[in-house]
Amino acid sequence: MGYIDVSKLGDANLNSAIREKLAEAPVVTLTKVNAMHNVCAGLSGDGEVIIDDSTGLYTGSFLEGLTVRVKGSVGWYAGDDMMSGELIVEKNTGCNVGSYICGGNIVIYGNTGSRVGYGMKGGNIIVCGDAGRWGGIMAMGGNLIVLGKIGEATGESMYLGKIFTRDPEAESKMGGNVFLDAIEADEVDALTELFEQYGIDADAKAFKVIRPMKTGRHAYQLFKPQLEPEKAKKYQVKG
Amino acid sequence: MAEVRAIDRPKSKWRKETLSEIDYKATYGKYRIRGCASPRQFPHFDDLMIMPSQLTRMPIDTYREDCETRTVLGGRFATKPLVLETPIMIAGMSYGALSKEAKIALAKATSMVGAVISNGEGGILPEELANSYRQSIQMLPSRMGFTKRSLEVADMIEVLYGIGAKPGLSGHLMGAKITADIAAMRQIPIGIDLHSHPRTGDAFGADDMVVKMQQLREITNWETPIFCKIAAGRVRDDVKIAIKIGFDGIILDGCQGGTGAAPVMASDHLGIPTMPALVQAVRTMEEMGVKDEMSLIISGGISDGSELAKALAIGADAVAIGTSAMVAMGCRVCMDCQAGKCAFGIGTQDPELRARLDIDKAAERVANYIKGMTAEAILLAKAAGKTKLKNLEREDLRALTLEACAMTGIPLVGSDFVIGEGFGFTASNKI
Ligand SMILES: Cc1cc2nc3c(=O)[nH]c(=O)nc-3n(C[C@H](O)[C@H](O)[C@H](O)COP(=O)(O)O)c2cc1C
Repeated sequence: MGYIDVSKLGDANLNSAIREKLAEAPVVTLTKVNAMHNVCAGLSGDGEVIIDDSTGLYTGSFLEGLTVRVKGSVGWYAGDDMMSGELIVEKNTGCNVGSYICGGNIVIYGNTGSRVGYGMKGGNIIVCGDAGRWGGIMAMGGNLIVLGKIGEATGESMYLGKIFTRDPEAESKMGGNVFLDAIEADEVDALTELFEQYGIDADAKAFKVIRPMKTGRHAYQLFKPQLEPEKAKKYQVKG
Repeated sequence: MAEVRAIDRPKSKWRKETLSEIDYKATYGKYRIRGCASPRQFPHFDDLMIMPSQLTRMPIDTYREDCETRTVLGGRFATKPLVLETPIMIAGMSYGALSKEAKIALAKATSMVGAVISNGEGGILPEELANSYRQSIQMLPSRMGFTKRSLEVADMIEVLYGIGAKPGLSGHLMGAKITADIAAMRQIPIGIDLHSHPRTGDAFGADDMVVKMQQLREITNWETPIFCKIAAGRVRDDVKIAIKIGFDGIILDGCQGGTGAAPVMASDHLGIPTMPALVQAVRTMEEMGVKDEMSLIISGGISDGSELAKALAIGADAVAIGTSAMVAMGCRVCMDCQAGKCAFGIGTQDPELRARLDIDKAAERVANYIKGMTAEAILLAKAAGKTKLKNLEREDLRALTLEACAMTGIPLVGSDFVIGEGFGFTASNKI
């Protein structure tokens, strides 16, 4: 096992230092990271990086192959553009985690902010806690799995991909151009496998799936007059 | 006595175009989407003239002496800047908006003249990459077809904020053009009307982008030039922010830039024209002390060597061309690209129409066009006494109209007067 005390790194580049350590040992632990940005960004290959702290923005972005385990929380955009491998966050995350990921697994044991899986194109994102609004917005592939509550407008204008939810209010929280559907047998199997892999105690059968509309056209908000003259009266200037 | 009828002036406001626009909205209750650039007349480089060498300096022989055109772009921080043989970029036009044949032809043309081509939205077509001289890869808010592999093959990266034809809006690709191949590349359903992601999901604002830039630099090992592409609007502020973020260069697209599909409203009424935008960008980069290190590529309505020469004289390092390259392949600017029925096989995905475009012939025509356009710029530069195209400077220009003078800060022809914000000139000819 290799160790890096990030506070003692000085001007040296952290990710280069991680690469060097990984060449010597399969597991590298980082301490005193002090919410640094871009930790493990662009790393590829085998091995595991354990971060015994919280991190800043873009943790594990463009990650390929490796496992990155964060014992604390991570900032915005963690795992963006990730290719493969694992990003495991034991606490909470900021917003836009897993934007544009192409593959790999992101597992968040706590809660996540808004727009998790923004434009995601592949891979799996599992949120064990709650997710903020616009989860999976304009996704183009992959699976977003939220065990807790989902936020408003989840799945807004997804093109492809799936969002798994067991939020009883899911129907009223979905965005436009998606529909709520029953989970299929192969999806139950895939979810069960993922839950087992990450030691998550949940019944895959309890989930429903938010899927993109297959009509071939998205409905958009251009202009829709709200013809409610009674309600509109409150805007009339009182004499 | 016979009745006398006075004839009214031709209708001004209520021209038949205005009436037809109203009829369209009255029928469909929505706005119109159209291809190509705005048909409006905007001020342009034509309003400037280039000063020839006479007694003040010697001309360079048009036919016997050299004028260097080699251009190095993006070396502010990147260690492998782009080296081009002519300061011309084929602007990013997506595979989707354009046919595969058109994309390959454009890429091949760059290899014949030593230019760079940008892929545009929706991923990089392998055949484009294989045939291009230098390849720019766009990182758009949609990130469709983009992976870490794209960064690895890029000779230049373009972080896209907007294009002149529809700034503030995202990519529009109508269902007629979303074939199985394009749908697979972009990971979207076949035949859907695509309005892609308007904001980037991995950098909300410039402060985040500073951090993201560090990420991109690490991933590219500080080698690949990273540009941003912005539509001309609040140029001064946008350029300052781009400098702060740490881009190697800026691609600035004026409001007369072309597109494969944009709402008419956007292309007609959003943004500012290319020429004043360029002046403002140059001014800002000079004020910030980065003009020499940072590259500036200008686009929007560039069609010949005079515009190239004038853009360089004002302070651009290169120009990007979209529409004119399409015209060189045969496009007649029918403004109907969005429909996907391009009779010339350029702006279509219909296999029958696509078969009409002879790739090699089209490539040769684009290459010829770029050669001719470069030669035109060289002719002007030599006549102005330059042995290098990039030695053209603003002092070589004069404005034809008061408007151009006020907009550019370049003196009016026949006088030494400058109206408006300065651009290195003083009103009393202390040049
Ligand atoms: C058919 C077509 C497709 C385009 N697609 C893109 C695109 O995908 N991404 C982009 O940044 N700009 C796109 N543009 C804009 C061009 O990159 C460029 O900014 C513009 O064409 C420059 O103006 P010009 O056509 O007058 O030369 C497109 C333009 C055209 C004509």
